[in-house]
Amino acid sequence: MISPAAAYRNLLLFVLPALAVYLVFAVLPLATSIVMSFFQTSGASGDTFVGLANYERLFTHPTISARFWNALLNNMQYFAIHLIVEVPMGLLLAALLTSGKLARSEGIYRTLLFIPATLSVVIVGFVWRLIINPLWGLVGFPLLGTESTALTTISLMSVWQYFGIPMVFLYSALLAVPNELVEAANIDGAGGWTTFWKIKFPLIAPQFGLIAILTYIWTFNGFDLVFALNGSAPGPNYSTDILGTYFYRTFFGSSGQLADLDLGAAVATIIFLTVLLVTSVYFWLIQRRLKSYSV
Amino acid sequence: MRSMRVSIPLAATLGVMFSGGVGAAFADPVTITLNSWRTEDIAVWQDTILPAFEAKHPDIKVEFAPINTNEYNAAIQSQIEGGAGGDLITCRPFDVNREWIKRGYFESLEGLPGLENFDKTSRAAWSGADDKAYCLPVAAVLAGFYYNADIFKELGLKVPTTSAEFIDVLQAIKKDGRYTPLAYGSAESWQLAYNGLYSIGPAYWKGEEGRLGLIDGKKKLTDPEFVDAIAAFEAWKPFLPAGQESLNYADMTQLFTLGKAAILPDGSWDINQATSTGLNIGVFGPPVPKAGDQRYLQEMPDMGIGINAKSAHKEAAKTFLDWVAGPEFQELYVNAAPGFFAMSSKPVTYKNKLAQDFADLKKGAELTPRLALDRLSAGTPPLDDETWRLLQVMFTKSDVTPQQVATELQTGLASWYGPQKK
Repeated sequence: MISPAAAYRNLLLFVLPALAVYLVFAVLPLATSIVMSFFQTSGASGDTFVGLANYERLFTHPTISARFWNALLNNMQYFAIHLIVEVPMGLLLAALLTSGKLARSEGIYRTLLFIPATLSVVIVGFVWRLIINPLWGLVGFPLLGTESTALTTISLMSVWQYFGIPMVFLYSALLAVPNELVEAANIDGAGGWTTFWKIKFPLIAPQFGLIAILTYIWTFNGFDLVFALNGSAPGPNYSTDILGTYFYRTFFGSSGQLADLDLGAAVATIIFLTVLLVTSVYFWLIQRRLKSYSV
Repeated sequence: MRSMRVSIPLAATLGVMFSGGVGAAFADPVTITLNSWRTEDIAVWQDTILPAFEAKHPDIKVEFAPINTNEYNAAIQSQIEGGAGGDLITCRPFDVNREWIKRGYFESLEGLPGLENFDKTSRAAWSGADDKAYCLPVAAVLAGFYYNADIFKELGLKVPTTSAEFIDVLQAIKKDGRYTPLAYGSAESWQLAYNGLYSIGPAYWKGEEGRLGLIDGKKKLTDPEFVDAIAAFEAWKPFLPAGQESLNYADMTQLFTLGKAAILPDGSWDINQATSTGLNIGVFGPPVPKAGDQRYLQEMPDMGIGINAKSAHKEAAKTFLDWVAGPEFQELYVNAAPGFFAMSSKPVTYKNKLAQDFADLKKGAELTPRLALDRLSAGTPPLDDETWRLLQVMFTKSDVTPQQVATELQTGLASWYGPQKK
């Protein structure tokens, strides 16, 4: 018999390695970056505390703030396309996979559909750029070179790559729906459509909400595909600039432009707060109300 | 048997003692490290350049330590400010380096004998506010036009020398219909500035006269010579391949090397790629507005090397730089990395024919670096980035005029650059 004190001690011991790694590699850098955003570190006199000066510059300088708002709006569009296309697509495919209509080929489809999510973004960007290349590809229209279509094009490439994630997520949630419930519904005369929306979907609603908010977090931390396709000043005319690339350009500099570490830290903090705020609001207001039925 | 067994460790011990003794007597070779952003040059340095140096200076070992191009500036800044970094640092030209000098990253090079091989213009990209030299000029790149000589011959075209002839040639190729006149696309905005406007523009704004005029505030981007230059560049639009808005640098180079396009406006650094398919290729310089006008050529200082102010081996670093300033290094480097050109006033011969052709374009031409990189991009918005963006807007939209581009560039510059605020 282990005493409660010893049990807590053991618990702490087991948690400690993971906690240490998390503190050193996640919490500490985050905290340092937030602290840094209140300092001027590149001055001749060393580090000086400047209060909110970096934030003031970010929100009042005509060019810097205009680019920031532009990146934020683009990012919202980037998220919206993922939410409207990727998540429902994942739901649809997960529903089809679990519908029993595919019989034995279910596993094959599941694997095939998940493959794009395992590819490197560099490859996805390269392949899609070739497919829609006006010189050698299938589409004559310069989709990536036109301001009005460039961001949607990149968003859809990203959707193509990642729809497998919500799919397997919702697929495993659907698998957990007890068969008795579905059978009972069938006996009561419910068709496939009714069964899905009245029985299955309410049961996986919490997971559906979770994948929606995860999509929000992923897209607001998005960077790689845009960077792979369009570099750190994503054109044309910054029409594909999102917060990730905006941050990168500020913090690491672009050609001919000096890196501004402090302003970059301020941008990183704002991105963090944007993600944190929406995620918290979501969890407080919505996720709590989604009942998870226990059967 | 026993004696043998004993003697092996004994000999080993003696050997260690002996070699240790020799090392102490002749002093260990000093190892200095050289930071660079040219990761692609690692073989050139390790196999060709450094052995040549070490053969002459056995007491100094140089280690080539490149950092990824995109991370170079940030990496160097954080390393030096943390008290580390290589003994020798490759210097970016102009504003970035001026900031680094201001922060005290470099040891002054005044008094280095090899510095005399470079004139003031060559040193300008790496001198500080005090006009002292902080980096030794190593290499510059040029910009011009590659052309497919076979297509020119087939269509009976002559290399153009004036803007009017240039447009005529493009028109003739377009009319023939078999080839794309210009292998050029605007997906990568940097090259609209570097291979386009900054290449043909100096002939309009008279090279250094216009560039320095902007720097000291005597000229504005809305002056006719700048608007004319932008208009001359916009005149290329009808001759670009379909869908050029989406074509990137690799696409346009490919279009040219596959023999499907007649002319490729590009920099000298692309020599190897442009000739990779064995086409019969020539090169010509930017056309002049009117016959008989002065020719101009973009010569962009690209690379210098300076000494880390916190280095522990400054003497060895100076010995190395003095060698870099001499003709032996210059010839080794420019021939190992075709497309890069020596900035030294001592003559250098190029083994690559196209590189020699490029170097020949310098004769009789006035040289000028890229328009916006000196001082004009040290604030927000940087003129260089704005030029990229607005030229891309002009090339991807149909309703933006050269006048509008010039006005917006001027407004952006005047919003922060002292001499232009009026």
